[in-house]
Amino acid sequence: MKKIINTVRFYVALLVGKISIHLLRITGSGGTSLPGKLAMTIYPEILRTLGAKYRIIMITGTNGKTTTARIIEQILTENHIKYTSNKSGANLISGLVTTLISDVKLNASPTSPTALLEVDEAAFRLASKYVNPAVLVVTNFFRDQLDRYGELFSAVEAVREGIINNPDTTLILNGDDSLCASLGKDVQNPVIYYGMDELPESEEENGKAYNNDASYCLYCKTKYEYLYHTYSHLGYFKCPECGYERPEPLVHIVRVPAMTSEFTSAVIGTPSGSFEAHINLPGFYNIYNALAAVTFAEVLGFSHEKTIKALSCFESGFGRMESISLGEKNIQVILIKNPTGLSQVLKYLATVDKPSVICFMINDNTADGTDISWLYDVDFEPLKNIQSRIPQIFVSGIRAEDMAVRLKYAGIFTDHIIIEKNNQAMLDSALNMLDVGETLFILPTYTALLDIRKLLIKRFKLKNFWQ
Amino acid sequence: MYEINICHLYPELLNLYGDYGNIQALVRRLEWRGINVQVHSVSIGEPFLQDRYDIVFMGGGQNYEQDILHKDLLMQKKEPLIEAVENGTVFLCICGGFQLMGRYYKLSNGKEIECLGAMNHWTIGYEKRLTGNLIFKMEGLKQQPDGLVVGFENHSGKTYLGDGVSPLGKVVYGNGNNGEDGYEGARYKNVFCSYSHGSLLPKNPALTDEIITLALKRKYKDFVSLQPLNDIIETLARESMIKRLIKP
Ligand SMILES: [Zn+2]
Repeated sequence: MKKIINTVRFYVALLVGKISIHLLRITGSGGTSLPGKLAMTIYPEILRTLGAKYRIIMITGTNGKTTTARIIEQILTENHIKYTSNKSGANLISGLVTTLISDVKLNASPTSPTALLEVDEAAFRLASKYVNPAVLVVTNFFRDQLDRYGELFSAVEAVREGIINNPDTTLILNGDDSLCASLGKDVQNPVIYYGMDELPESEEENGKAYNNDASYCLYCKTKYEYLYHTYSHLGYFKCPECGYERPEPLVHIVRVPAMTSEFTSAVIGTPSGSFEAHINLPGFYNIYNALAAVTFAEVLGFSHEKTIKALSCFESGFGRMESISLGEKNIQVILIKNPTGLSQVLKYLATVDKPSVICFMINDNTADGTDISWLYDVDFEPLKNIQSRIPQIFVSGIRAEDMAVRLKYAGIFTDHIIIEKNNQAMLDSALNMLDVGETLFILPTYTALLDIRKLLIKRFKLKNFWQ
Repeated sequence: MYEINICHLYPELLNLYGDYGNIQALVRRLEWRGINVQVHSVSIGEPFLQDRYDIVFMGGGQNYEQDILHKDLLMQKKEPLIEAVENGTVFLCICGGFQLMGRYYKLSNGKEIECLGAMNHWTIGYEKRLTGNLIFKMEGLKQQPDGLVVGFENHSGKTYLGDGVSPLGKVVYGNGNNGEDGYEGARYKNVFCSYSHGSLLPKNPALTDEIITLALKRKYKDFVSLQPLNDIIETLARESMIKRLIKP
């Protein structure tokens, strides 16, 4: 009897979920977590029932989840594998449920039997009780919105607990991150590490880590020694006391022959040989995202040829450096959410040799993190060095004035800083300042990204340039 | 020419929530007035030379990091630090640094962690974190008659002040030391302690200048006062938060 009741509840939950997805789509509000929430209220076990029907690939970590997911999607596409994914970035449990509900047919069988799910670190712990991912990719751990999560290590421990719940899951881990690499120690899971063997010349100064999230050994609290840093606390770490060190990566960057403001070309070593790939996205930190995706392709035994193709043509997605062309001028929107991420974005901006206009949009809503003091942990030196070719820096968002103060104390000329809290006015004056071929870089926090997306759609009638 | 030496204690360990911003504010505001400034990092295994520094800064860290430095702080640096405090060296201690200056930190499981005992205050661990925007009112902030200081707090300990220690200010918005007695931070001799982290000094230039002035007066008997700076942006940032939080 109980079984029948559960089956009925499951189908009711599924139906309610599907109807609410449909209704939200019609009203254009495109809610991505509400349907999942409703379905879970009706049948709390729905994630377990649905999850069992899929081959699940999960991606977690602080930075790079979305970009890594986009590259893996392209790899799946090149290999003709049908998949579903939480593209909207709804990466809490309710978002995962919504994604699966919208993929299954009414008889609960999957339309696309592979699910690629980007998941928040704390949500992964919870999800791990319901689903058994075939593969888990972990990108890195940095400080991120500590006002919500307490401490950095709690994110690492959340993922660790989730892994213990799933001893069969294949782990793909960033071996250059001492926190992330530790997830592969003392577990039964198959573990594969990726890492960077050599730095491009332009990055070699990185040894002077500005803010270091983990400079002391996780096991014995001795200061790590580094053969080299790639960025922040990532690199070839080694504990002189207990011997914990960077594990040998199976998939690794051998060389970076070219890094421009449009793309990176990298030689990647794998157990089945090395190859050179053109990564369709600039930014040093994105090399790691590409590497994580390549490791995934290796685990699934895909051909290098198709991986190379995928790396050269994937779409980064809105807010992840996607270039929006407005005819003669361009806009590039880059989501910023923590010190390491923004420091890396500023380093990237310094590689753009044309004059450009920059706009920071800083909000402090819950989804952005209500504490904006992380802006003081960002290395603004690269921006300071190029300020002569940046005529204006706009600051907008709820905390525009605080951002202006931050820039002033970073040594940016105050007459370059314009506080403009009206986004429409900001966009108009910024675009007016650009000459043909130049780019406006908009750097929003999460909810500011939603605001600017809305504005760009309305203003330029851009439709579905994101999903 | 005047020169100020700043000591940054355990910079790679105690740098949570933008603590570096406070150092940067001190440095810039000295530089903008043509005063020489040096920042000395003093970390584990490095001696704290109490006569060398005019301003000592200690920030906050995660429990893990505070564990690492605890032994070094108590075994190697306690005596010279207390001596510096008693001699009138100017200190700014934020969050975890504030707690470490006191007598002890009692965890919620009853275990007591010994602190420096440079000041008579103590902290009791508490399950619920006190997190959010914070505004407190300071007396005698010369450049800023309303005395309102704006910041952000995030701490799980509740701190209580004993005899001889006065609060830095009175809470106007937020929790402050413990969410009970309405006090925020602590003052003793030339020590300033606060739970307001990160951008405390950049956004509250009057407080920054107060700290700088104290240090200069202590070092140079002929020093009178700082030349004023253009603080339009800082004032905008400070006032926008005051307007948002307490003036509807
Ligand atoms: Zn060790």
